[in-house]
Amino acid sequence: MKKIIVENLKYRYPLSEDLALKGISFEVEEGEFIGIVGRNLAGKSTLCQALVGLVPHFYKGAYSGKVEVSGMSVLNSNISELSRKIGIVFQNPFTQITGAKLTVYEEVTFGLENMGIERKEMVKRIEYVLHLLDLEKYKDRNPFELSGGQMQRLAIASIIAMKPGIIVLDEPTSQLDPQGAEEVFKAVQSLSREGITIIMVEHKVEKIAQYTDRVMLMSDGGIVDLSTPQKIFSKDDLLDYGVQAPVFTRLCKSLNIKNKDTGLYPATLGEAYELMVKYEQNRS
Amino acid sequence: MTKTLSLYVERNTFIHRIDPINKVLYACVVVAITFILPYELVGALLILVSILVLLAGKVFRKVIPLIEFSFIIMLSIVIIQGLFHPGNRIPVFHIARITFYKEGLLYAFNLSMRVVNILLAFAILVLTTKPSELIEALVKKGLSPRFGYVLSSALQIIPEMISTVDSIMDAQRSRGLETEGNIAVRIRAFFPLIGPVVMSSLIETRERAMALEVRAFNSKEKKTFLSERLAIRSDMVIRVSLFVMLVLSIILKVLL
Amino acid sequence: MNRIEVKNLRFSYRHGEEVLKEINLTFNGESTVIIGQNGAGKTTFVKLLKGLLKPTEGEIFIKGRNTREVTVAKLAKEVGMVFQNPNDQIFKSKVIDEVMFGPLNIGQGMEEAKGNSLKALKLLELSDKVDENPYDLSLSERKLITIASILAMDTDIVIFDEPTISQDYFGKIKIKKIIKELAEKSKLVITITHDMDFVAEISERVIVLNQGEIILEGSAEDVFSKSDILKSAYLEQPGITQLCKRLGYDRTFLTLEEFLDYRLAKN
Repeated sequence: MKKIIVENLKYRYPLSEDLALKGISFEVEEGEFIGIVGRNLAGKSTLCQALVGLVPHFYKGAYSGKVEVSGMSVLNSNISELSRKIGIVFQNPFTQITGAKLTVYEEVTFGLENMGIERKEMVKRIEYVLHLLDLEKYKDRNPFELSGGQMQRLAIASIIAMKPGIIVLDEPTSQLDPQGAEEVFKAVQSLSREGITIIMVEHKVEKIAQYTDRVMLMSDGGIVDLSTPQKIFSKDDLLDYGVQAPVFTRLCKSLNIKNKDTGLYPATLGEAYELMVKYEQNRS
Repeated sequence: MTKTLSLYVERNTFIHRIDPINKVLYACVVVAITFILPYELVGALLILVSILVLLAGKVFRKVIPLIEFSFIIMLSIVIIQGLFHPGNRIPVFHIARITFYKEGLLYAFNLSMRVVNILLAFAILVLTTKPSELIEALVKKGLSPRFGYVLSSALQIIPEMISTVDSIMDAQRSRGLETEGNIAVRIRAFFPLIGPVVMSSLIETRERAMALEVRAFNSKEKKTFLSERLAIRSDMVIRVSLFVMLVLSIILKVLL
Repeated sequence: MNRIEVKNLRFSYRHGEEVLKEINLTFNGESTVIIGQNGAGKTTFVKLLKGLLKPTEGEIFIKGRNTREVTVAKLAKEVGMVFQNPNDQIFKSKVIDEVMFGPLNIGQGMEEAKGNSLKALKLLELSDKVDENPYDLSLSERKLITIASILAMDTDIVIFDEPTISQDYFGKIKIKKIIKELAEKSKLVITITHDMDFVAEISERVIVLNQGEIILEGSAEDVFSKSDILKSAYLEQPGITQLCKRLGYDRTFLTLEEFLDYRLAKN
């Protein structure tokens, strides 16, 4: 089933003259892990917000086109209804803490209480997500006392507890240190293994190459291409779009070491290593 | 330790377990009775009851600084009323050439007892009730959940925002802004400090509003609650007793 | 005279919890990067250099002056620091006014301040945004404005606290260029960052802090060759370094260019 269908989505923020999104169309299958890359102001965040309904319901503005998420029309549903199908985690771990709850355990329930979930079911879900996100040992801590990485995992847990089939992450590791970032990537991997459809905006292209099924390159409010990491990162004009390919891709490009089957350059360390070894063997 | 704006003292007493709504009702009834029956005996009795409740809640010691503070207020009431109360006729004592009158002193005494009663009754509420539990109880009874959220989040977020003032001061001082010195210096430092405080608060509030939205904050579903406060028998008993006390005082007022 | 001298520095916020333990360092002209996990003491350390905090024990001398004896505002003439969150300092309604705030405070005249500010904005390729309201711009642009604000102060020492957060490829190029230019003008540049690839490209000297102590110090090549020690501080080597190690090279390669040059030379 197509989890996400976007058709000719156009959007302009209020008080703005230019379109932030200029006719976006794409589809996502259930269980896919999509990475989004592109320079700042390319429209990546706006697209994320359009998937969950913040665009247009929170921001207002001028909107046209279709966005359908798990069969629900974004335009014709409100954000609370959509939150049952799709969730979003933002860049700033701190502003995603509601502040109304005193423990990590209670913090996760915030969305569930709003949805009117029955108490027994609430407890089941909380235990499940705390375990999945490795937060059990912090369940009685005050959310404000967590580290950045822990806070982001808490944000993810709070969203996943609402059981959306899709989660969007908009630069979730930008403000974290390497350990925190690694924690988040591991968490997102667990989610992917559970079959959850994931859309992630990231600047760390090496990680995008490592984890995603397909990569969307955005520029100037539009999609340049949506394809495998290898294909996207092998593009010759990638730098024009403000994206630098993973160092492994750049290395193999300089040495003209391609994957014989696809004609593309490798995007991950593992792939690059294998090809390099073969290359050295062939040379000697 | 995270700061919360709250005076709640964690203890495991019966008083702590009483329904928060009942404690609110208690405070209201006490205040009402001090107005309905403005007699010294009544005032003293109520003070005694509140003190006993505070002792039972093991929080009496926390009230003492509060009482000390109210002494200052009461002293000024005594002085003003003792000297200038209209209807002052019978002098009681002199200090130098200033005369204190009986009617005024009596009035001041009554007023002071009312102040202490109000303080003690609310102290019981504030010291023995977790703010989150009180707010949740109110929401369960019909308070708008959005307003309930504003109240409960304010308790944690305001202290957090205050701590960002330090970061802002650091940043501006680093750019050569003098913050110490005479009054002119401090006034000049005001805008470079207040500007970022306001802007960053607005930005944070907006980000938080979006995060709340996607957690179904504006959902029209009937809200459920993780915590169940199982009603105890004394809840009903207390509520009925309070109601009876109120009715009795009205009856007494009419009779006397 | 050393530009910065740190002697027997110890620091605790609260009694009994030492955040920095016996730090001894001198800084002169090398572009230095400080890396380490959050909580390792990096931000505390640079705040001490700025005089925002005073040492619990030990002394810090900025160009011969003891930080205990000078106010922060006076030290601002020598040491400029770009903080992490631009929203913590921007308060003027025009970009140019915002950038001129620092220079005017430390004693530059109107003309001088304006000149320096425009120059700084040009370096950051923000000349076309001079009269805009900073809050109408994006977060990453505001970050660049705060960098301009410090550059315009023309201090001898410049500290960057996480300059590449929220920056895309083009933003990082700008920042790299600026750090290189400052180094060329013989300014002392100290950068705190998590971006290991960035570190490899801009530093002559790397200091690794872990739990308040310096666990590694030296050239980028020295530091990044010690993968075990880095791991204990939860840090990773740059991608190219890892790949080359796996391919069996003894030498520690920090950048792609370095590796390619090496292969070219070999062949």
